Amino acid sequence: MTTGHLLVSTILVPLVGAGLLCGLSRLGRSVVRRTALGVTLVTFTLTCVLVARFPADGVVGDGFGVTTWAWFGAEAPWNIRLSVGLDGLGLWLFALSSLLMCTAVLVSWESIDRDEPLFYAMLLLLEAGCLGVFAARDIILFYICFEFTLIPLFFLIGIWGSEQRQYAARKFFVYTLAGSLLTFLSLLAVVFWVAQHTGRLTFSIPELTASLRTHPLQPVSWQLAVFAGLFAGFAIKVPLFPLHTWLPLAHVQAPTAGSVFLAGILLKIGTYGFVRFNMAMLPDATAMCMPVMLWLAVAGILYGALVALAQRDMKRLIAYSSVSHLGYCMLGLFALNRLGMQGGTLQMINHGISTGALFGLIGMLYDRYHTREIRQLGGLARRLPWLACFMLVFTLSSIGLPGLNGFPGEFLVLLGMFQRAWGDAPVVESGQLHVISVLAVSGVVLGAWYMLWLVQRVFFGPLREPRAAAAHPITDLKRHELAALAPLAALVVWIGMHPAFFLQRMAPTLDGVTAVTQESLRNRAGSVARMPGAPEPDVAQVVRQEGSTRVR
Amino acid sequence: MDEILNILMILVPALPLAAAVLVAALGPRMLRARSHWPVVAALIGSCLASLVLLWHVWRQPSGYERVATYWTWALVPDAYAGESGTQSVDSRIDVPPGTATPADSARLAGSSPRARDFAVDITLRLDALTGIMLAMVTFVSLLVAIYSIGYMHGDRGYWRFFTYIALFVFSMTMLVSVSNFVLLFVFWEAVGVCSYLLIGFWYEKPAAAAAGMKAFLVNRVGDFGFMLGVFLIWTTYGTLNYHDTPAPVRDTVAASAAPVGGGEAAEIVPGVLGSQRIATGAYVGGGTGLAICLLLLLGACGKSAQFPLHVWLPDAMEGPTPVSALIHAATMVTAGVYMVARCTPLFTASPDGQLVVAAIGTFTALLAALIALTQFDLKRVLAYSTISQLGYMFLGLGTGTLAGISAGMFHLVTHAFFKALLFLGAGSVMHAMGNVIDMRQFGGLRRVMPRTFWTFLIGCLALSGIAPLSGFWSKDAILASVHARVEVLEHELVRRQGAAEPDADPAHGSAGAVELSADQLGRGAWAYRLMYITALITAFLTSVYTFRMLYLTFFGAQRIPAEAGGRAHESPGLMVWPLLILAGCAAVAGMVLDQSYWNGTHPFAALLAGTPSLTGAVASTEALGAFHIDIAAVSLLVAVAGVACASWLYLGDRRTVHRLRAVMDLEGWAPAGGRANLLRLAQRPGVRGWNQWMERMRLGWLMHLLVELVLLLALILSVPLLLCRFMSPYRLSYGKFFLDELYWGLVVQPLRGIAWLCSVLDDFFVDGIVNALGRLPAHLGTILRSTQTGLVQFYALAMILGGLMLLVLVDQQLVSRVGAWLAAIMAGCGAW
Repeated sequence: MTTGHLLVSTILVPLVGAGLLCGLSRLGRSVVRRTALGVTLVTFTLTCVLVARFPADGVVGDGFGVTTWAWFGAEAPWNIRLSVGLDGLGLWLFALSSLLMCTAVLVSWESIDRDEPLFYAMLLLLEAGCLGVFAARDIILFYICFEFTLIPLFFLIGIWGSEQRQYAARKFFVYTLAGSLLTFLSLLAVVFWVAQHTGRLTFSIPELTASLRTHPLQPVSWQLAVFAGLFAGFAIKVPLFPLHTWLPLAHVQAPTAGSVFLAGILLKIGTYGFVRFNMAMLPDATAMCMPVMLWLAVAGILYGALVALAQRDMKRLIAYSSVSHLGYCMLGLFALNRLGMQGGTLQMINHGISTGALFGLIGMLYDRYHTREIRQLGGLARRLPWLACFMLVFTLSSIGLPGLNGFPGEFLVLLGMFQRAWGDAPVVESGQLHVISVLAVSGVVLGAWYMLWLVQRVFFGPLREPRAAAAHPITDLKRHELAALAPLAALVVWIGMHPAFFLQRMAPTLDGVTAVTQESLRNRAGSVARMPGAPEPDVAQVVRQEGSTRVR
Repeated sequence: MDEILNILMILVPALPLAAAVLVAALGPRMLRARSHWPVVAALIGSCLASLVLLWHVWRQPSGYERVATYWTWALVPDAYAGESGTQSVDSRIDVPPGTATPADSARLAGSSPRARDFAVDITLRLDALTGIMLAMVTFVSLLVAIYSIGYMHGDRGYWRFFTYIALFVFSMTMLVSVSNFVLLFVFWEAVGVCSYLLIGFWYEKPAAAAAGMKAFLVNRVGDFGFMLGVFLIWTTYGTLNYHDTPAPVRDTVAASAAPVGGGEAAEIVPGVLGSQRIATGAYVGGGTGLAICLLLLLGACGKSAQFPLHVWLPDAMEGPTPVSALIHAATMVTAGVYMVARCTPLFTASPDGQLVVAAIGTFTALLAALIALTQFDLKRVLAYSTISQLGYMFLGLGTGTLAGISAGMFHLVTHAFFKALLFLGAGSVMHAMGNVIDMRQFGGLRRVMPRTFWTFLIGCLALSGIAPLSGFWSKDAILASVHARVEVLEHELVRRQGAAEPDADPAHGSAGAVELSADQLGRGAWAYRLMYITALITAFLTSVYTFRMLYLTFFGAQRIPAEAGGRAHESPGLMVWPLLILAGCAAVAGMVLDQSYWNGTHPFAALLAGTPSLTGAVASTEALGAFHIDIAAVSLLVAVAGVACASWLYLGDRRTVHRLRAVMDLEGWAPAGGRANLLRLAQRPGVRGWNQWMERMRLGWLMHLLVELVLLLALILSVPLLLCRFMSPYRLSYGKFFLDELYWGLVVQPLRGIAWLCSVLDDFFVDGIVNALGRLPAHLGTILRSTQTGLVQFYALAMILGGLMLLVLVDQQLVSRVGAWLAAIMAGCGAW
């Protein structure tokens, strides 16, 4: 089987599975959920094969497992094609999607007790959509998958959610849809600009990126406008600082599986979009917007952490911690250098794993106690030692403890940011950047504070349980719950111990993007330096002023 | 031989790690009460391996270092200069100013041969400093592990305890043997987590859980500084390795860039603490150098519990006592001292940074000693004593001379012995007293637990610095190095002032590696003199609180709390043997390691001086073997005076103590003003006569005014008095200078307030805007609804107008043509 066929079948398996589940709806609950688990496991196995076949140095040239089929309007004037393929950026998110879906099915094992066939079918549709997003090489296919992910999630929240589920589902849907429409218009604008210049209409993402490298979108104001349009959709998805309010609501109301997948994968579509489209296609606008984006990112880091500190609901706390962590991702990406870019991408995966697992754990607590209020719980380590152990591991991973996965990502992000502020040659806005980088590091302290506070209140101290819980016995992790968490914990340790394995495979793709933005940044710095009145930055002068000394 | 060494180097941390994994896997089900076996066996192995390594280093010539790389942790090629035009500090220093403009360097970037990788390899190093730390850590850990078999016997979390201990030893040994700042930070955090887990070991106790979190968060504040420091080192030096590494030879770059660059394969990237950089002395001073030093120091302050961040250590005493002995006295808290000693070349480049190190150390030593005077919790007294002794070590390091640094490290080793001994002794007392640790509840235990008493006494003598015991030698060495520093600085100052003679003797230029300005010299001399005096005062206080603790616990009438349940007894052999061994070390380590008093050699300092980063970086080596009889006499005198003072207070009549406390608490300082006193004054014959005379003169109102004025004045004056009363010296000391409360009020609560505010803002303002925008379409709808009149003609008109507008937008030409037609038709109609 060629890699291309493998990739296509990986995406199609969940789709087929969803159809199968609808057909099986007469059968009992256990058959349905076992089928769903089987489908996700098959998908995951196929993904593992893909990852194993991916070249270890990450050099994939035009793409990995590229498959192109004609689609509607495949003829000359339109050239819309059904084209999929992976590269260093998409690979890990693709793999994470198929892994987290296994987790999502396992955490729903007992907590979903009505309309299971439909529920699992929705989950599988969601998986197919996400896999499609990360593998798409055609703008139309990308956009279809991008929007398609909203529909299953809308139903997941709206049907199986908590009390305010309908409000949450509506808000989530309208908010993200409103942004993504602007994104679509901007994508079309890019397509038509390229068509005008090359005389050939194409929707292929690699082709567009390549031709925009030789003929960048001009004038820059146009680039900025398109950047803003793309920003609208992706920033809401991420979510970037002031556009985040749909997230806590959606998380709190969503069923556990929905939260796991929403935090783990759907948010990453936003950051993925920023790298794939904003940075790769609009480097000049990216270079210009860099300080603004960095400010938004650092605002998200601190604001998210502070708001998380004041939460009383565990799910809301983790939701706001997502805002903070995604701030780190964006900070790394928009540091626009190799360290930051790789750190930011690694941080996307890390956040997916640890926050996904944390949402899963909170769902398990909710299944047992039917509350998410922090103050109603306490000292659960005595009652649920294994659950507490996993909670501690994922908490430590989330606060960036060295040896676990959070650390390499966070460290590379911050190192990249520091290099942007102090080291890199095109010195732009260095004063602002200094402030941003120091503020970003201070987020590390706040992050540890709210997470450890949560663990301390809920798991340590004297035992405190809601009165209703006394009615039925509280048991520690069951087998399916252990199966949901153990692979994630293993991955947490693996990434922490050997991040090089993951970095190597993503590096060449990301370096391509970095090189383009670097070039724009240099042009921009050059134009600033040429402006009358702007002081000429002189590196040697700076060094002399720093008073470099020789010892003896 | 090389292979064996490499294996030994990895074996030291690997054995405890293997034990930790084994116990974690098998502990809860199979090993249970036997969980200590793998750990103790692994620690014996580690300890032997470390001793072999130390012996190997001992036999090597000075400047020996050995680096072994095991695997690559992370690698980002061309990360440093690959995109940046700023060259690393080496090239910056060597490049004549003005030759390279940013534009040039920007063009060079990418294919520049100076491109640096961000490469973090798991590399272990072996040199004198590492060897000493390894031997100390594994030896004390082994003893504490053996002690814990007895102490933790029967605890529910027995296997958990030994897993954590093994994990801690792994992290700590890695911390001292890694050769990279990133990995230093990794294990820096890892020991922090072990500490967090062990402080909160009895997690059902709310105090223990809270103390664990506090320790972690305060350390995080330090880590914030440490991380910034590491980032700054990266942006300044372009590498994070200690050792020199060969420059990357890369095919991919060579393929894209000109193949000319391929010939420079032999180029070496000088590590931050590598021999090449030390030899050339390429260290950045000035603002950047100072910033790096201060940020690293902030990290060290967190881990080693120095002044602004010391508040976590006393609370950490909530953990099991062996943990307090191992982690919070002997090993982990010295990580900061180790780090500063390791980074000596960086600190040498910044004399102001060194001064700050010394000043923080001295201040902390004094502050903690003052607090320790009045505490009643035996373990907390020891905790504050630890903070105080760590302050001494920082003082030694802050002198910046080789003598000072070796004195600081010497104190680190001796302190590990006697403080572990004291903590384990306190644990033994606690074990016998049913976990009561308040010294007011027991006393006179020297008959009940004689062996604990004798070993504890040895520990106390060593801590106080009484002559032949180990604490005396190391403390004396620190005092001597500070004193020598003062002399050198003053000498230099005098020489500068009389600098008429041009051929100044360069031998006197050893005031520091960096040429100091006259201003810095004067300030330094003054500051170090002050520190010397403060350190002497602290030495006095040390022996006072040490012997207060001893007398309260073991002397006086025998009192045993009810919690002991009448089973107060000497601890079992497993707990006593480690005490005896440690007592032996505490007694003789000083005499063995420092032989300057009889043959003028100092084996410890000589060994340590062989560390590459110390030999090259630090200026003077003259003071190594010298024994200063005058300073030794002064420090001994001070220590004996302290012991005498404590004996006078606590061995004799205890009422003396109460009277002293009353004085220090400013009792009887009640405000002297007040109406009652004034009325009494008015009854005095003279005053009354005067008063009556005034009344007769119809000036009574004046008198009343005067009285009111006096009362007001008294009230105003009494405010500071009341404040003094509240913050009397005694209360300040007993209340730990209210630093916890201060942090609570100034940092924690305001942040919580801001958090709450943000959360409210998020719910009402940020989300409110979104909701308002969301309602906008609905509002527009109500406005537009009014246009739905139902008149067909209106719709037709709207349709035509709309169509026209669309046309206008779409096609200007068409519009003009249609317009022309319309005009023609109209004209035609008109004509018709």
